[in-house]
Parts: sequence; C-alpha cells; structure tokens
Amino acid sequence: MPYFHQSACISPQLSFPEADLTQFRTSLNNLLNVVEPDYPGIPAGVKRRMGKSVRMAVGAALPLLEKQPQPDGMIIATANGGMEDCIKFLNQIIEYNEGLLTPASFVQSTSNAAAAQIALVTKNHQYNITHVHRGLAFENALMDVVMSLKENPDAAYLLGCTDEISAYNYNIDSLAGWFRKEPVSNYDLFTTSAEGTIPGEGSFMVWVNNQREGSIARLDDVRTIHTEDPAIILHVFKKFLSENFAEGEMPDLLLTGENGDNRLLKYYEVAESAIQDNVPVARFKHLCGEYCTASSFACWLSFQMLKDGNIPSILLKKNTSSKPVQRILIYNNYRGAQHAFVLVSVA
Amino acid sequence: METAELKQQVKEQIIHFLNLTTVKPEDIKDDEPLFGEGLGLDSIDSIELIVLLSREYGINIQDPKEGRKILTDVNTMVAYIEKNRTK
Amino acid sequence: MSRIIITGMGLISAIGNSVAENRESLQLERSGIDHIKFYKTSYAGRLPTAEVKHSTEDLNKKIFGEPNLSITRTSLLALHASDEAIRDSGLTAEQLASTDTALVGATTVGGMCLTDEIFHDALAKDHGTPYLSSYDYASVTMAIQTRYRIMGEVSTINTACSSSANAILFGARLIQNGYAKRAIVGGAESLAKFTINGFNALNILSSKACAPFDRDRNGLNLGEGAAFLVLEREEDCRDKKNYAILRGYGNKNDAYHPSSSSPEGDGPYLSMKDALKNSGLRAEEIGYINAHGTGTENNDETESRAMIRLFENVPAFSSTKSYTGHTLGAAGAVEAVYSILNLVNQEVYPSLSFKNPIVETGLVPVRTYAKQEIIHVMSNSFGFGGNCSTLIFSKT
Repeated sequence: MPYFHQSACISPQLSFPEADLTQFRTSLNNLLNVVEPDYPGIPAGVKRRMGKSVRMAVGAALPLLEKQPQPDGMIIATANGGMEDCIKFLNQIIEYNEGLLTPASFVQSTSNAAAAQIALVTKNHQYNITHVHRGLAFENALMDVVMSLKENPDAAYLLGCTDEISAYNYNIDSLAGWFRKEPVSNYDLFTTSAEGTIPGEGSFMVWVNNQREGSIARLDDVRTIHTEDPAIILHVFKKFLSENFAEGEMPDLLLTGENGDNRLLKYYEVAESAIQDNVPVARFKHLCGEYCTASSFACWLSFQMLKDGNIPSILLKKNTSSKPVQRILIYNNYRGAQHAFVLVSVA
Repeated sequence: METAELKQQVKEQIIHFLNLTTVKPEDIKDDEPLFGEGLGLDSIDSIELIVLLSREYGINIQDPKEGRKILTDVNTMVAYIEKNRTK
Repeated sequence: MSRIIITGMGLISAIGNSVAENRESLQLERSGIDHIKFYKTSYAGRLPTAEVKHSTEDLNKKIFGEPNLSITRTSLLALHASDEAIRDSGLTAEQLASTDTALVGATTVGGMCLTDEIFHDALAKDHGTPYLSSYDYASVTMAIQTRYRIMGEVSTINTACSSSANAILFGARLIQNGYAKRAIVGGAESLAKFTINGFNALNILSSKACAPFDRDRNGLNLGEGAAFLVLEREEDCRDKKNYAILRGYGNKNDAYHPSSSSPEGDGPYLSMKDALKNSGLRAEEIGYINAHGTGTENNDETESRAMIRLFENVPAFSSTKSYTGHTLGAAGAVEAVYSILNLVNQEVYPSLSFKNPIVETGLVPVRTYAKQEIIHVMSNSFGFGGNCSTLIFSKT
C-alpha cells in the first residue's frame, strides 16, 4: 500500500513552508494567486529561466529532496504548466513574424519542464514522467505511483503537480464561460448562485513509498471516470464505497471539489446522496481556487486533518463529528466531465 | 558611442535579455569568460545573445560556433559590435 | 503477470494514410520529406518537413462527414489512426464502452497548431473562436474518448519526444496492474508555428532532408502523424491476430540539460538497459533497433555512444525519421508500429540519406530495405527534458 510521507504545498493559503490553518487569505480581483516564496534552494542561474509553474514545482520539491535520498522516480502532473511560456513564445513568433527568435521560453514551455528541472537540479536519472490529462492529471499520477510501488516494492517516489494561472489561459477560460463574471470573494462562492467559479493555482509534492513507519497517510484507492451523467456518477460512487467500506461503514469525511459553479452542483448532490446523512461534508476550492490539479490541495488538506484528527470549520459544509477523522474520501470533478474518487486514510 | 559606454550598455542588455536578476553590470568584468566559468552561461544563452546582437545591433551571425568565439567575454563582444554594427 | 499483445494498429504519416501504405513506402524507400504544402508559415519553401498529405478540411470531412468546427488537425490525425487501430483489433462496442478499456494519448503540440486562433483567444475580450477547449494536450485524447465513449481510465502524457512511448508503457502497466483489461495507446502531432519556430530558434532544423547518423548531418525535419495501438492480455486474444508481444520497456532521465543530451548518452544508455532488464533479455538478443536518430549533431552522436556502451556488437539499426521526419509526440507510437512491422514481416528498413558514418563512433545503419530474421526489436525515443524511453517488441 502506498504511504505518504513528507509533503510540501505552495498554494494561495499559508501552506508553505509549514501549514497554518488558523489564518486564511482572500481572493483578489476574482483570482486566488499564490504568494511565491523566495525559493532560496533554487540557484539563480537556473531560476532565471523558470516560469511560475516550474518555480512552484521545484520550490516545493527541494525541501523534500534535501531530507531524503534520491527517489526512484519522479511522477509529475500538470495540465497547464508552461502555458504562459508557450504564449510568450507565440508572442515572439507574431511580433517578429517568424524571424530570429530566442528559444528560452520555447524550452521552458514544454509540460515536462517541471519534472525535467527537478531531475536536473538533483541529477536524478530514474523514472520520470509527466501526466497532462486536464482535471485528472493528478489522479493519473496517483495511479502511476500505485503501480510503480507494486512493481518496485522497495522504491520511493517523488509525486507531485503544478499549475499556474497564466494571463492568457485565464482569458481563454473566461471566454469559455468558466469563471464568474461578477466580482466575488472566494468566501462568497457557495452563497451566491451563478455559473462559473474563480481560478487558483499551486504546486504539491510528496514522498511516497510502501513504508508505514513515519508516514502521515495511506492511499487506499483512486478511480476516475469521464461522463456528464450524474446517474453514472452515483453508480460509480456507490461501487467505490462498496469496494472500500464494509456494510454500513462510511468515510469520516466527504471532501468535495464544489467550486461555486451552479451547473456542477448536481454532481455533488448525487455524491452526497450516496453517503449517510450524518457524514460530515467539506469543501476546499474556496481556499485554493479551481485549476486542473486542484485535487492535490484536497490531498494536502487531508494530511493535515488526518494528523490533527479534526476538520477546520472553514472547510465544513455540513455536519460535524466527535469521531477523529481517519478516512477521508475526496470526490472532485473538473467542469462536470472528468470525475475522480480518492480515498486517503490515517497511516 | 564611446567604448566604455558601449560596454556598460552591453552588460545591461545581457542582464536584461538573459533575465539575470541577481547580477548587476558592475559584477561582470570585461575580460571574465561569459560561458563555462565566469558568468556560467550555456548553449541556450549563446543563441539568445546571437539574437540580441541581431535585434540591437543589426549583426547577423549564421554559424553558432563562430558566435561562441565572438561571445568569449564582454571585450570581444564589444570589439565585434564596434566593427560590425549596422544599427 | 499477463503478457501484453498488440492486436490492432493504426497509423497516418507523411508516407501513408494507413499501416499498409506506410509499410509499402518503407519497403520502396519512399520518403515523405518535402517542402511544406498545406501549413501556412513563412518557412514554407525554406525548411523541408514531412507533412501528412491531406488538408485539414479533407481529414475533417473523412472522419465527420459534416465538418466538426471545433476540432484541431492534431485531433483529426489521432482519430484517423485510432479508428484504424480499433477496427483492426476487432474490439466490440461492448468492450469499448466498458470500464476496463483504458485510453492513453500523447502529444506535445495539442491544439496549439492553431497559432492565430490561440493568439486571438488569449487576448480577446469577447467572441472566442470555436477552439476554446481544444488547445490543451488532453483535447487530443478527449477527441477519442468522446468518439468511443471510453469509460475506463484515460490519461494523456507529454514528455516531449518520448511522449507516446510513455503512453504505450503506461497503458501496458494499467493492464498489468489490474486497472484495465485492454488499452488503446498512442500519440498524435501536427505541424505548428510553435514547433517550427521553436526548433529553428535552437538551430536544430535542417534545410535539407535529414540524414540520421551521417557524418555531415545538420539537423532534423519536423513531421506530422499519429499512431495508435491496441494492447490486450494474452489470455484475452487467443482467437484474434496477435501482431507482437510488448516484451519490455524502460524509462530513465538524462538529467544533463533541458534541450541536449549528455556527451556519453547516459539517459539513452540507462533507458535501453532498463528495458532489457524489464524484458528479461540480454543485449545480444536484440536483432534490430529503431533508433531515435533525429539527424541532429547532438542526438545522433550521443545515441551512438550509448549503443556502443551497451552492445558489444551494435545490432542492425536505422532511423525511420529519415522517412517521416520527427513526429515529436507521435514518434514513439509511429516507430512502435514500424518495429512491429519489422517483426511481422521479418524485414528491416534503411536510414535514408546516409552516406558516411560519424567519425567519432563509426556506426553504419541499415542502408537498404532487406529481409532479416528478427525475434526482438528495440525502439528508442529520447526527448527534451532528458526524458528517455525504450520499448522492446518480440515476435509472437
């Protein structure tokens, strides 16, 4: 079974270098941007070339890699990583009419730039892959680490993801109607009914192996599906529950990716209908915003809750429980088309 | 433009073009190697500096290997610019 | 663990619109590298590329009848190839709709072949183009997911030039680890100003037809194409044609530089070694290598050094990029199909345009089409970011 050990999360909240879940930041201009740290571990000569998503990925990875020996692989997820550099390069193409161009932003714009840079700064020659499947990129990376640990039981992997709000991507997604048109605070997302949400960004890195000792959580299961039919989601969710919980047993918390977009509520309603009425339900996207690998923030939050045993009230949608939180089921969907179920438990 | 002034300008342009945010013009010595040791630039930087020479000074270097010789240090770069600039 | 069998293949490239057409071109030593005819770029006439010889409109009409207005050329190529692979494998509608059919795609350009449209949508305040959700890499895989309503695990990989090799090995592992019973795997790539200008800015495009492993090589030619394979467990496909066995795979990182390989080819060497270990084969059992062989100074020399390090006697090898150009995200899958054709037909394809060996390494690739007995073929894909992947296929 995969066990999660040390992790790092750079997010719009106070999560790096240490978690502070007593103070929370508010969105600005309908955006939840990260506050980037200085990244003292990244040499200036290397940092100068990095776009934000690569910086965030490397910045989160380095503290983990300082403490651990070389991982046996780096499994990274990013859907939009490098987009900003892509469009910077396209700008040059258009400005100079395909003339003499500088290649740096082209080289940095490739999705695998984050995984490549982390391997480069640590001279790591091991398994290295980048998953880019939009709202399921992180879950695909989770599946990859599950398989890698079955294939190599004594190995340890660096698993992580990164996505940034790029000005250009934000514009494209706005035109497509995915964001709120009216000004809204992240804390009002769930109390104002409208189409759209607000974007966020962040990176997440975690050390994963088969060793229970010293771990903070265990990955019990991960499943994904593509559908827009809530009835199928209900069916798949019930199957997931029956495969992971004994008759009558429930998770201690259902943590969902509700993001304030009223078009997606129907999926969260069926998910909530599949669990008992008294199970606590919480949400996380008002803290991190919506982005393709946002479920990694839910994962990181789960680690904090499993460590402390309780659910910060800022996350709670309904119900509380006096039971310590030991099994958290994360249900997320991206734009109502890609759905994922992840079960993490206390180690 | 005086040579000294051009050297200062080229240093500022190198810093700006290559995004060397932690380097100041006075940190770059005129005869310090730009590649390998010294400033520690690499092959992508050499291509970027060839583009710089074209955009700022109208100098077109076709062969990247020739370009590396010209880009040995600030002195050789400036000497080449003074001799070959069309802008 | 189940052995993984390839039961279907689909392919479109500069040298043919199907697997059979590609094979014919390979046998006849007919390259697809030419001047740019379909794509609009100021490099048309200056930089040879290997385009798929159909306009986007034609590709669209052939697949959709009524043109689909929000689909990109990359996705169309992917659909063309995956349609052929799925038909070829005889997967039933029930199998395609089941949750144990996985899909893994790959691309490095995705919908960014539409430079003008993405630029418009990145800046416009209203009235986006119909392509708003078609720019990302996932959109290519999603075109196939939507068409066949794939309900199993779906992923998209982007590791530069090794992307679709990784898609193949990821799909195989999904099967071997019980996440799927079968997997449709591959990649697609179309020409884009983004890659033409990007590679040109790095000075690694040749103004002539590329000459992999040649002493006077001076760069690569970009190519377009798509290839998909259907992978199944051996016990599930005894009553259908088994093209080949996916015997093993390797994935290692060069960790040297973002866009060039280490002088001794560490990543390539480690990747090939990893695949041999995974397959349980010894180096001397490899009968032929479909090399990465892009035609750049850096790749071909470092790849040669890596082969010399690993093989006491380097087996027969060639680069089919001398036919198809470098199809980037699709290369791993395109060349996997070619490797399987080597095994099915017991033949090898030459490295076109080769005249003289690299002085420092002296390796000579296969120079003409020939029949050859082969049991195991190795296919290599080495990308930017040090991502090196190797696949080994064996005769059934």
